[in-house]
Amino acid sequence: MSDNTSASGPSGSAATAGSSDDVLLRVENLVKYFPLKKSGLFQPREYVHAVDGVNLEVRRGETYGVVGETGCGKSTLARCIARLYDVTSGRITFDGRDITKISQRQMRPLRKEIQMIFQDPYGSLNPRRRVGSIIGDPFAIHNLAEGAERKRRVQELMELVGLNPEHFNRFPAEFSGGQRQRIGVARALAFRPKLIICDEPVSALDVSIQAQVLNLLIDLQSELGLTYIFIAHDLSVVRHVSDRVAVMYLGQIAEAAPASDLFVTPRHPYTGALLSAVPVPDPDVSDRRAQIILVGDVPSPISPPAGCRFHPRCPKAAQVCVDQMPVLEPRLGDGPAHQAACHLPMAAGENLADFRPSIGADERITEGGVDVFDEVPFDTVDATAQALRKGSQR
Amino acid sequence: MSIISSAHGEAEAQPVTPAGGQPVGKKIEGRSPWRLAYERLRADRAAIISLVTIIVIVLCAVFAPVFASITGHPPNVQYVNTGENAAGGPVPPSSLFWLGTDSNGRDLLVRIVYGARISLEIGVLSTLLAVALGTILGLAAGFFGRVVDTIIARIVDVMLSIPFLLLALSLAYIVGPSVLVVTFIIGGFSWAAVARIVRGQVMTMREKEYIEAARALGAGPWRIMIIDLLPNVIAQVIVYASLLIPLAIVAEAGLSFLGVGVPAPTADWGEMISTAGGYYQYGYWWFLFFPSLALLLTTFAFNIFGDSVRDAFDPRGGQLFV
Repeated sequence: MSDNTSASGPSGSAATAGSSDDVLLRVENLVKYFPLKKSGLFQPREYVHAVDGVNLEVRRGETYGVVGETGCGKSTLARCIARLYDVTSGRITFDGRDITKISQRQMRPLRKEIQMIFQDPYGSLNPRRRVGSIIGDPFAIHNLAEGAERKRRVQELMELVGLNPEHFNRFPAEFSGGQRQRIGVARALAFRPKLIICDEPVSALDVSIQAQVLNLLIDLQSELGLTYIFIAHDLSVVRHVSDRVAVMYLGQIAEAAPASDLFVTPRHPYTGALLSAVPVPDPDVSDRRAQIILVGDVPSPISPPAGCRFHPRCPKAAQVCVDQMPVLEPRLGDGPAHQAACHLPMAAGENLADFRPSIGADERITEGGVDVFDEVPFDTVDATAQALRKGSQR
Repeated sequence: MSIISSAHGEAEAQPVTPAGGQPVGKKIEGRSPWRLAYERLRADRAAIISLVTIIVIVLCAVFAPVFASITGHPPNVQYVNTGENAAGGPVPPSSLFWLGTDSNGRDLLVRIVYGARISLEIGVLSTLLAVALGTILGLAAGFFGRVVDTIIARIVDVMLSIPFLLLALSLAYIVGPSVLVVTFIIGGFSWAAVARIVRGQVMTMREKEYIEAARALGAGPWRIMIIDLLPNVIAQVIVYASLLIPLAIVAEAGLSFLGVGVPAPTADWGEMISTAGGYYQYGYWWFLFFPSLALLLTTFAFNIFGDSVRDAFDPRGGQLFV
């Protein structure tokens, strides 16, 4: 979204030509189920449908944002791509190579090309090890550098991410959250990977620190030509960094589009509802705006709803949504880049609050037996959005 | 206002002075968890006293031959004329035999310091064995999970449910008692508790993001276990080991007491206490008292020290196991 990222797009992919070469990562029909403990001897085994048929393509040098609520499967998707989890079915192609089923041993050399930055800056660094040793891990594991050479390269990395190289002998506990996240970034950068999967890299940080770390990531991208998969639940953060965005709901992609399109003309009602919940810093605008509050919670991923997974909560739901699973494809004359999995997509300027679902209460999540889709003034102010807006204006 | 402010001023001046007096730019040094534990241990008076006691006992054991040469009484020599009374019983403490003699007319002091050798040897060796076995199996069970965990966890359950004395007695009886056999029996029975502690710790850490990060970097299972997991469990293992040593010493004394410990005529506290039990009623109190005191002092010192080590590693004062 920002000038930084759009500028880095071409420079990152300058070495490769042609549109098919442009795709660094392709995920086809990815499925990941987690088995649950059987509830009884003769009960069928149940599964958590964490990721259920996800398709996406990440191009070289871009930032691909993935947003969704907690538990929608975005972190599972990340760990499947990094092959930290074994995939139930589907196909992952990285840099032209099928990595879906390869063993951990075969995966080893590829680890240098796919790296992860984790959510929790406190949990992702071993508290008993010194920072120099943590950042030096990549070199130690792959026998890339020893002794003084390793120390030199570790200090280079620390400098690259804005840490004082003198501090390599400290423990993680001696750093602040933002500094710890920089340590995580330095560790991920050691190999100069092609793809970095950022799993909510800023959601555990203070707002002012979030902007710092985001800007560091953006700077590093243009400097090193990195490709990011950027996972977050904060729409304003994703908007700030992403070129393209996918919205996930219950293990599936509800809508995928260039960031500029998605935030202006959302097609999927879920996207529409999410966007209406993004706080607006101007109280006058905020009061006038229609706020769509979805009813109930996300249904259980153990037995997701049939048809469109969003239909029990969707204000536009009709019988077709119960009967048929919608395909992720361009809707309402959008270009091929803007895809939505919805039978009844939203037109531009449409207000979700004007709709009432046309399906029976049986299929719906209701509150006190009554559907509630009223306009509710939004009164909590999310400081994140404000701070980020300030950050992107700069 | 003036009264209040002056009172406050004095109270506040106290903490400010040392901070202000510090030289500008003094480096704040990061201290490792080990260093912190060491410093806490040093400040703990009970730890120092028990450690000194342990060192004295160890020195006695190491320099046992010196005691033999000073008194002129080797541990296994019977002094039929000077060391036994008219009835053939032990003689009380005197200038000749500082702590008296045993029922065979041997110097009790010399035998006690020689007995310390056996106790410490078996105590430390069997603990090392238990810690090594328990740590390796616990790490493997906790990290690999699934079948490996099921197998190891069941073995641990079985080991912990077997009555120690019963099996130890029969084992020692079948194989024939010796220092090595007793060490293996005690070590072989103590590892299960260590394995259980390590397994539990590892299971809580297995899902931590830093383990995932290590896997994402391409670290293999052995590297993760040794580099990432072991440093996080080693403190608990050390604490448990320091409490395991006195247990092992008592267990060894117990086996010897029951006659399946270290074979005679080797000096051994358990064997001495056992024999002395038969003489106590006739007034030969020193024969029972001094070996018992040695055993008590040793286990007490190790226990106190073990507690201090635990406190040093966990300053919050919470319970480490449970």
